[in-house]
This record gives sequence, C-alpha cells and structure tokens, in this order.
Amino acid sequence: MTDTHDTNAPPSESRRRFLIGSVVTGAAPLMVRGGEAEAADQPAAQAVREPVTVQLDVNGRTHRLDLDVRVTLLDALREEIGLTGAKKGCDHGQCGACTVLVDGRRELSCLTLAVAAQGRDIVTIEGLEGAGDELHPMKQAFIDHDAFQCGYCTPGQILSAVGCVREGHAGSADEIREYMSGNICRCAAYPNIVAAISDASRRMGG
Amino acid sequence: MTEPLFPQPTGTMGRPYRRYEAHEKVNGTATYASDVRLAGTAHAYLLASKIGRGRIEAFDLTAALAVPGVVDILTHETVGGQIRQTPSLYTGGYAADSVRPLGSADVAYWGQPVALVVADSYEAAREAAQKIDVAYAVAEAASSFDSGGAEHSELEQHALRVGDFDGAFAAAPFKIDAHYSTPVQHHNAMELFATQCVWDGDRLTVYEPGQYLNNIKYGLAEQLGIDPERIRVVNAYVGGAFGAKGFLTQRTALVALAARRVGRPVKLVATREQGFFLSAYRAETRHHVQLAADQEGRLLAHRHEGWELTSRADLLAFGGNGMTVRLYACPNIESRVNVARVDRSTPGFMRGPAEVPYAFALETALDELAYAAGLDPVELRRINDTDVEPVGGLPYTSRSLMQCFDAAGAAFGWPDRTAEPGSMRDGDWRVGWGCAAAFYPAYAASSSARVRLHADGRVHVASGGHELGQGMYTMMAQVAAERLGVPMDRVSVSLGDTDLPPAIVAGGSSSTTSVAPAIMAACDAIRRRLGLDEGSQGDVVAAMVASGTGMVEEYAETRAHGEAPDTMRRLHRGQAAPSGGIHLEDRVQFALGAQFVEVRIHARTREIRVPRAVGAFAAGRIINPRTAHGQLVGGMIWGISSALMEHTDIDPRNAGYINANLADYLLPVNADIGTVQAIMVPEVDDLVSPAGVKGVGEIGTVGTAAAISNAVHHAIGKRLRDLPLRIEHILEDI
Repeated sequence: MTDTHDTNAPPSESRRRFLIGSVVTGAAPLMVRGGEAEAADQPAAQAVREPVTVQLDVNGRTHRLDLDVRVTLLDALREEIGLTGAKKGCDHGQCGACTVLVDGRRELSCLTLAVAAQGRDIVTIEGLEGAGDELHPMKQAFIDHDAFQCGYCTPGQILSAVGCVREGHAGSADEIREYMSGNICRCAAYPNIVAAISDASRRMGG
Repeated sequence: MTEPLFPQPTGTMGRPYRRYEAHEKVNGTATYASDVRLAGTAHAYLLASKIGRGRIEAFDLTAALAVPGVVDILTHETVGGQIRQTPSLYTGGYAADSVRPLGSADVAYWGQPVALVVADSYEAAREAAQKIDVAYAVAEAASSFDSGGAEHSELEQHALRVGDFDGAFAAAPFKIDAHYSTPVQHHNAMELFATQCVWDGDRLTVYEPGQYLNNIKYGLAEQLGIDPERIRVVNAYVGGAFGAKGFLTQRTALVALAARRVGRPVKLVATREQGFFLSAYRAETRHHVQLAADQEGRLLAHRHEGWELTSRADLLAFGGNGMTVRLYACPNIESRVNVARVDRSTPGFMRGPAEVPYAFALETALDELAYAAGLDPVELRRINDTDVEPVGGLPYTSRSLMQCFDAAGAAFGWPDRTAEPGSMRDGDWRVGWGCAAAFYPAYAASSSARVRLHADGRVHVASGGHELGQGMYTMMAQVAAERLGVPMDRVSVSLGDTDLPPAIVAGGSSSTTSVAPAIMAACDAIRRRLGLDEGSQGDVVAAMVASGTGMVEEYAETRAHGEAPDTMRRLHRGQAAPSGGIHLEDRVQFALGAQFVEVRIHARTREIRVPRAVGAFAAGRIINPRTAHGQLVGGMIWGISSALMEHTDIDPRNAGYINANLADYLLPVNADIGTVQAIMVPEVDDLVSPAGVKGVGEIGTVGTAAAISNAVHHAIGKRLRDLPLRIEHILEDI
C-alpha cells in the first residue's frame, strides 16, 4: 500500500479539501434522485428515507449498494458489505473503534456518511495485508507485544496506528501516546500498544 | 522504549504463549455477537424511560408506526404478560434486576426500557423510537444517599465484632478516625450491549456477549416459559465485560420475543448511553474507618463502617469490610454495613466490586496511621502482617503480601523516598510516592470440560467458558497441551456455547481456577484409559497408536473446595457461583499484592499525573505470564482511572446520568498512561485448587486508588479522601 496523501500539507489546505469534498458528495445523491418537483411534493423526511445508490470502493473492490441516505460508512461496511472488522463502540466519534483508512488517512467511519465516502479509497482491517503470506507488520507487532486483550478496539487501533506511522507521528513513545489517544482501549493495553507501534514503525520504515 | 516484559517460566509459571485467537483479533475476523450475520434480520432500537420514577399513562405510537419499514413495537401494552418474572441474580435467579421487562406501566428508574421498535433497517427503528410519544405521571425519584426518599437500613448479616473496640480505641496512643467515599462508575467495555435472536421453529438461538451464557439460557427460558433445552446461547468472543455482562439484562427477553413475533431474526445494538442503564454498575460507597495502634505500630483497634447504595427492587450490598478487617492482625474489630435504597437501576459486579472501594478506604487510612505513628507505610504493613485472619482465627492458604511489597518496593526505588510531605520536587512538579496493599479473594467453582485426543495427536478441548480478553482460549489450550504432553499447535479449543459442557461465570477472577482443574481431570482420564500415569509423563500419541485407538474422549467435572453436594446440578442450571475468599469454614484464601505509584502535581495547573506505577502480585500459579501480565497491567490502569477520572454524574432531579457517553465519562487514553510494571511474585498454593491458581483478573485494580491518594498526600501534604481526586480538590497553595 502506498501513501498518497501529502503529510506536509498545511492544516488549512487539508481542512478546505475536506469541506469541499463533504459538500459535493453529500449533496449529490439528493440532486440525482429527487429533483425539485419531487422534493416539493413530498415531506423532506420521506425523501431521505428512500434508498439511494451508493458506490463504495473498499479494499480494492467496488460495491454498489442501495442505502438509506442516513446510513453511516460504519453501518454500510458492517451491515451491507459484511466487513464486520470495523467496530461500533459509541457511534459518536468518541472511541475510535470504527477507525478505517480513507484515502490513506484514518477516519471515524461512524461519523462518515456512506454517501460521503463515495469515490474514496477505503481500507478496513480485512484489507490491511502484508507482503506475500505475511501479516501486515502492524498486525504482527500487535500479536508479538500482546497489544490487545478483548480485541474489540483492535482493528481500529491497528488502522489508526498505521495512520500514525504514515503521518510521521511514531517518532517516540510520547509522540505515539499523543497521536494514538483517539482510540480508547478499555482493557488498557496501552503500554503494549505503544511498544507494538514503535516496533512496527521500524519494520515499516517509518 | 520499554519493551513489555513477559516473565519466563519458573516453578509456578507456564510459558508465555501468544494468544490462541490472536490472528482472528488482528485480522478483524473474530466474530463478536453483533458481527454474526443472519439472513433477513430486522433491526431493533430501545426506547428508555426519561423519568426516574413514575408511571406510563399512555403511549402515542401513531407517528412511530407511520415510519416506513417499522414492523413491530413492543411496549408493556402490546406485550401483555408474555415475559415472566425471573428472580435477580442476588436472590438465586438470573436477572440483573428484579424489574420485569416491559412488565407494567410502572417506571422504577431512569433508562428503564419502555419500548422496543423493530424495523427493516436500523435507521427506521431509531427514527420510530424517537417518534414514540410517552405520557408519564412523574413521581419524585430518590437519586442517592442524601435524597429525601432514600430508605436506609443496616444489614445485620454483615456485622462483625471481635474483642472490645471502644476500649482499645480510646486507650491507644495513635489513632485515625476518617471518612472516605467512592463514586458511581460504569464498566464501559468497548463492545456495546448487543443481542441477536433467531428462532428455528420452537428453537431459539441467542448471540449475546456474556460472562455466563448458561445464566442467559436458563433465565431466558424462565422468562419466556419454554424448555431451556430449546435455547442455545452462542458467543465466541466478548468485547470486554468487567462484570457488566454476567447478568440477564432486560434486553434479551425483548429481542427474543420480538424475533418470535415478527418471524425474523432481530438484532439489537444498544447505544452507549443506554448501556449505562441496561446492566449493573459500581454504586457509590461511603466509609468510616477508625484505626488505632500502639507505640510500635501494632494495630489495637480496627473499625470499618460502610454505606452502600442499591435499588428499590433489589437489596444488595458487597460488604467489603468483611475482607478488609481480616487482612491485618488486630485484636479488637468491628464492622458494619448499611444500605440505602433509591430509585436507580440495580448496581452489581464491576471489577473488584467490594474490594476496590473498601481497599481505598482502609489502605488510605493505614497510610494516615503510618504518618501519625511516624512509621514507613511499608513497615506498618509488615508489623501487622499475619498468616491467620483475626476474626475467626482461620489460616490463609498462602500469603505473600510482604514479598510483594519488597519486590515492588525494590523495583520502584522506594528506599530513595523522603517521608516528609512536599519534600520531593522537580521544577514546577510536586512529586509524591505512595503505596498500598492489593488483595482479591481466591474464588473457585465447580466446572466441567471435555477433552478429545485423536490418534494423529490432535487434541480438542471444550468447556462452555468465556473469552473476555483474559486469555481463556490460550489457557484452555495450554492446560490440555501440558497435561497431555502435546505441542500447543496441536490443540484446538471450543468455548462460549451453551451446548458445551458448562463452565462457571467468568467472574470473581475464577475462570482459570475453576476450569483448568476440569480440563486437567479430563486429560488425566484420557491418560488412565491409555494406561499411562497422570501428569505429563508418557507419550499419549504413542500409547494411542499402540492401543490401536482412533479417538479417545473424556468428560470431567470438578467440584471446588467447600462446595455443597448439589453444586453440579446447579452448575448445569446456570446457577452456580464461585466460593472461597472468606466464605469457607476452614480457611481463608486470597491473592495479595502491593501497589506503588509516583504522582506528579503541577504547581501552576494542579494537573495530577501518574508517570509510573509498579505492582507486584502473588496469585499462586500463573498459567500464562503473557496474558496474566496484560490483566495485571490493565487492572492497574483501571485503578489509576478509578482514582483520577471515572465518575458517573447523577442528576439529583431525576436520578438520571448526566455524562452517559465516552466523551464526558472520563476514561484514560494512551497519553494518560505512563510506565506500568507488573511483577508476578512466585507463589505455590496447592490448596486453592488442583491447578494452584488464585486468579489475576481483578487484583490489579485493587489498592491502586489508595496508593495514588497516599502519593498525592506525600506530594503536597493534603489528604484527599473522596474519589475521584481532581484538580478542584487541590486549589490551595502547594
């Protein structure tokens, strides 16, 4: 997997890109489907309940889904596509268990509407692969350092950790702690998570 | 960077094998309850009460039923009497509380489920639930100890009296008389409370995370009025539990009933907020501790009175002072437990349920006594160490408390501490070092297991236990591999299914203590069938080949020490509970430990940090030092969190919770945690169980909060006795 985003981009630029992207992808399905006449005839709530066709590119495969426009990326992955590795821990963007990589960056899939993820490269834990038959170095490091217990936050931790390394934020234990603080581990495997990321960062050439 | 240290095998430790299910967990293929995919599933959404006490006068379901995709709405009116009452776990039953699900128009607590919407999609179910209009007749709800409507009483069965406390306390040269409190806390496992139910004719399969699947099976059978053998509960992975998933909660019967009504599988994933009300929680406690010592620091008098909170529906108290007054030698003892009943859901087990709050009170008071008597806090514990508990004179099966203090103290650097509060500084940081004892009763229960040996050397071990992250799969494989003398990679494991031989609740740190002996017994039975000695001598595969046998299978049951003859029948009905600790007639059995922490308080911001913690624990045999290490370190971080962060805020107007989400209920994130070291002190205890195991699931959490409050006192000279300890408690000059 290659890193396509520009880690040196100033924050203002990436924020502007995000806002533009949200507006365009968020508005498109309603315009395609409804049209002004239909929207005028029906209560707005009725229109949003009708399925929209959404195309999601996940782990290198394209999925066409007819979704309620309110479906989050997390629920689309889990309930529609069947990729249940991404976990629901709060549904409010407070825990990080639903973290996936979107265009190479870590994102909270519970705070992302599926319709807003169209045309973007989505990688879930199932699609994070190593070279040949080997596990991805981050997955192997999590095993080697026993960086989990119950395992429920683990897919989110691992994808967030990959993002953390790619962003260049795995330079020290303190830096890893800071940049991994969006992912709660209630079993509290934190010291082992830090050790695993530090180890994998070396193996990933981070 | 510090690498995690997994101790190598010693006389009391097995090998630190990697987790059996590690690949499934890192690849996202471990199937948790909400990950099970069932064709044609309808989605459910709970509606929880928004009053603390009162009555539902009417539902208006018109708008909810008009939402496209809504299939069914369950309320007490639409359900009628279809769900029967089952007693709570505390009265010999199964349920988290004694409020019957959708049983009547009465509302007993904020967050009580009052309706379940079933729809084709999650989005439609949620929208419809939000459109249900409920008219309530609101009554005043008592929220906590000081509420007008709280019912107060003493629980006589917890009262203890040895010697003459009053006389000894009055005459002693050094004494402490102080009050402590601990707050409401919630488990908040990362996995939400999910349930999926599917009927096949008259047979029901339930997918639900559980610490005691047979509890769900038999309790649900009572609620639905059906033969338990028609119910199967399956759950291969639990996404954290910590005590919250050991009960039959209100949701299970609702989802099962909904699935029967709509003729489809039904899936419920309760929201994070709803999880604060669906299961139990750690209720607030208050303590009055009086300690007195002679000139040498020997305890002369020890009195501990506790106040606990419970619901109107269930009279429940943990009475942890039954343990704390037995920890140290003392001739004059009193203890009492009082309870206040209020309009809340029923509290219950949460990691170290009795031990964490009562240890905070006692171990802080002991630190205060050490300062009063001019003694080092470690030495005060050494002076009062005992091999015999002082209430009934019963022996400890083994006790390595001071070995733990010495091991952890040496690793921490305790001799470098200067005793004077405020004497250790580092720039703007006020540095404090504190310590406390940790204890947890060694509980064991009857359990069963089945082991199968194939002629090609493959072994399968099955027991209906539970994988919460504590390492159950790995432990089961390891015990069978070691007992039969086969390599680990030849062993496969099944657990988490009520069709398997029943195992005990994954609670009370008792899973390994209870299930390992059953596996050992089944392995030994296989050896006997092959004409080999018990233990690990002799090649079982060679014996299989020599005997011309294709496959050998043995089922074994083991009964824990002191358990009644009917314990096996109860185990097979999902009603057995672990025993041990102080509940045996001939002895007491505890795992013990010592917690040392460094606290740093910033002189300008008053931020409290814990850069390092060192714990040492003696818990008998450690089957797998890698997974045990994770449990102990995780437990210690729970302890840090309980001291500094966790506090569920109650709204006194309606007994609801204000911060029922993961942003406002503070939990530690990675940046909150520094170096945490857990040392496993070798200990041999052949009495607690044939496996020699005492359990490590909870002890790491016990005593940590006291060590932190003691370190805060050492840092700034102020004694904080109410958890959690926060910036606003230390605003004076430091």
